[in-house]
Amino acid sequence: MKQRYRISPEGRPPEPTDAEIARYRDPERLLYNYQRASHLMHRKPLYKDPKAFMALLLIVLLAWFIAEVVDKEELPSPATFERPAP
Amino acid sequence: MQEQDDTTLVMAAKADPSRFAPLYELYFNPVFRFILRRAGQPELTADLTQQTFLKAMLGLSRYEPRGLPFRAWLYRIALNELRMHWRKRKEVVMDMSYAEVRGMCEEMGITKDDDELHQLASALGRLPEDKARLIELRYMDGMSFAELGQVLGIGEDAAKMRTHRVLANLRTYLSPRA
Repeated sequence: MKQRYRISPEGRPPEPTDAEIARYRDPERLLYNYQRASHLMHRKPLYKDPKAFMALLLIVLLAWFIAEVVDKEELPSPATFERPAP
Repeated sequence: MQEQDDTTLVMAAKADPSRFAPLYELYFNPVFRFILRRAGQPELTADLTQQTFLKAMLGLSRYEPRGLPFRAWLYRIALNELRMHWRKRKEVVMDMSYAEVRGMCEEMGITKDDDELHQLASALGRLPEDKARLIELRYMDGMSFAELGQVLGIGEDAAKMRTHRVLANLRTYLSPRA
């Protein structure tokens, strides 16, 4: 990122007044966002929950089993190999 | 006095996050103005200010008031939020008024004619980010060396010395005067 400066008599547009800035103040939204963010931060990872861990393990095992079955079905038998012509 | 009040408010907010509101009320305007001077747009500034306070609330347990006023800590977070916001931008334009550069011009011994100010603006653009930050805090935000040091995490004397070095650096960027 390159930073460029502009120097002029007035600089920036006039700053908003305190009353104008107060319109942007939203303590309720801040507290809501804080509660949501801290909930996400302190959420227990899925693998640390015994039930979720078992479910994940089951899914992984099932996926592995399916992959194995599909691999065996796709593997051609030795009789079907074609010998290259001499 | 203000620091003592801040410490009391921070302690209360640490114990119960819903009591962060007085700190938010107290520092919303200064932080908003601090960000607005850099971001330029009020809507964007409002988002970045809200994000700054959210980060402050989330990190409040790690904040230790000793030697670092709460305001300076908030400014540090705000600068970080601005940096995060700008990191994908190719170029950022910062506007400064004659009044803001007056002190700098006096210390550097340059006049405020258009040509020299144009050269000064381009010289500022050539400064590395940390040095430019120092100049902005000192002249754009009008911070004392003590405040500047608190925001940058250095001592007052170091802040003074670094500022003078940056000004000397800027002088070398300016073309020699006739």
